[in-house]
Amino acid sequence: MAVSPTDVREEGIAVEPGAAPSSGVPIRQTNLWKDAWRRYIRNRAAVIAGVGFLLILLYCLLAPILSPYDPTFVDYSIAKQDPSLHHLFGTDKFGRDLFERTALGGRVSILIGFGATLAILAIGVVYGAISGFVGGRLDNGLMRFLDALYGLPYLPFAIITLAIIGRTNMWTMMIALSIASWFTTARIVRGQVISLKENDYVRAAKAVGARWYRILFRHLLPNTLGVLIIAIFLELPAVILGEAFLSFIGLGISPPDPSWGAMAQEGRGTYRTHPIEIVVPSVAIASLVMCANFIADGLRDALDPRSRKN
Amino acid sequence: MLKFIVRRVFWTIPVLLVVIFLTFMMMRQIEGSPFRHSERAVPPAVLQNLERKFNLDKPWYLQYAYYVKGVFTLDLGPSLVLRGQDVNDIVKTHFPKSIELGLYAFLFAIFVGVPLGVAAALRHNTAVDYSAMFFSNVFHAVPSFLIATLMIYFIALKAGALPTSGWTTWQHKIMPSIALGFGPMALFARLVRGTMLETLQQDYVRTARAKGLRYRRVVGLHVLRNSLIPVITAAGPLLGYIITGSFVIELIFNIPGIGGYYVTAVSARDYSVVMGLTVLLSGLVIIANLVVDILYGLLDPRTRDARI
Repeated sequence: MAVSPTDVREEGIAVEPGAAPSSGVPIRQTNLWKDAWRRYIRNRAAVIAGVGFLLILLYCLLAPILSPYDPTFVDYSIAKQDPSLHHLFGTDKFGRDLFERTALGGRVSILIGFGATLAILAIGVVYGAISGFVGGRLDNGLMRFLDALYGLPYLPFAIITLAIIGRTNMWTMMIALSIASWFTTARIVRGQVISLKENDYVRAAKAVGARWYRILFRHLLPNTLGVLIIAIFLELPAVILGEAFLSFIGLGISPPDPSWGAMAQEGRGTYRTHPIEIVVPSVAIASLVMCANFIADGLRDALDPRSRKN
Repeated sequence: MLKFIVRRVFWTIPVLLVVIFLTFMMMRQIEGSPFRHSERAVPPAVLQNLERKFNLDKPWYLQYAYYVKGVFTLDLGPSLVLRGQDVNDIVKTHFPKSIELGLYAFLFAIFVGVPLGVAAALRHNTAVDYSAMFFSNVFHAVPSFLIATLMIYFIALKAGALPTSGWTTWQHKIMPSIALGFGPMALFARLVRGTMLETLQQDYVRTARAKGLRYRRVVGLHVLRNSLIPVITAAGPLLGYIITGSFVIELIFNIPGIGGYYVTAVSARDYSVVMGLTVLLSGLVIIANLVVDILYGLLDPRTRDARI
């Protein structure tokens, strides 16, 4: 049974600098983050997923730099090749190296993914913090509104947003993907703020006359950091899949900077003769999404022991 | 309980109004009217007539009021681009196919996902559990267009067992339904496994075992029933999941449903159709959430006061 962070904190307070425990075993000084790290690295699936995630990031970063090929050079004599030592993932219908293009596509997909995730967190934190902090009727109204919107399909709203802006680039894609996806994050933040509000240190701060903004920014929001880190890895897969779907139905960022979804859409034209062209970017998406899912699970167990299943 | 239901239903109306409002305001922001489109330039007099016909010359709040009245009387207005067609006509031709597809996908998800989750929970920490969870984690992550494309490649093209696209005979309906159902299936398996493991540790399960009930009977009578309740809550988000997936699946398999038509309507700038379909899909999810909440309140009395 692992020690929950609150226990650890009490333990830390109880230990006086000079007073060695009688059993002779030194008490390990720890804090929430060290403790979470210790719990995280004990979770084998989460560690493998974390390493996999970093490897994918490294691949996207380094492959285009190290690759000897030009990602836009068209050479029909080597088109539609299967994977080989020269072209690890094969080539596309224009003879471009898929190993390099997949890494470039990953840069676009991951950048959009993180950008949209941050936007989702920003909206979610504001909405959730207001709802939880103010409470009362406002909270009730805001939450009933969220209840009803819960599970709303984000795709139609993303499509309309792109139509309103009229241009499709990385920035508009981030906006489109975050506009109808922040409901869950808002709910999580609100729940966290409400449960934190009941803590003694918040009451103490109020009792000594701290203003509301000090309580909110100094005591409540920093303590939502844990759930926000989990939320990043919960939202990232959804956003990356969302971008892939949008690109696949032809509403994504246009070439020459294809994301993984746009590459899959390109590959759809030739899947009858050369399926590898759609398989490679799709598997890249799946790997990243799966890693993120396992990281989210591991982080939840590490940072929020109350939710852990025995 | 009645009070709970009445209040919950009552809350749905303002939410529906807000969603219609947001969609309405968003649609107004889109640049260019369908009639001012360069390749379809019309004389000013005709334009005026057209705008009057579609109430586009009225102030926005009147347009909104007309629209809300239309939605609540189940009339989504005329198509701006297709001559002589109402949005209702489009819904009537395309929607049944989407409903059918979604229903089959849902059934596939239930009949494969639930047993998978139950098996994983009953054989916790065994090879059965691990493989079921690996399987569901993979299918939770793989984009449905890959599953669909691979199915077409291997089953339709290589083996020639099923037709590649279309939506006419039952053979046409197998692959799209399964391809769309894979994601929800993985979701169900994980959810059922989780709730079931939790339920197995409840005191009443131990009591039932202690008073001598057979394991099978305890699982069938107490555990399964109580573990399926949280699955109901997943139905709302699941509907959204299936709607999103249907956009892609209908495109790949060339199914004339709502998802495929939506994209066509956006590129044709047929705003009334886009708006009508958006309101329709959102309304579906909102109503599904309402039904789920009421069902949940009926099944689990503890949630009645907490949720409303």
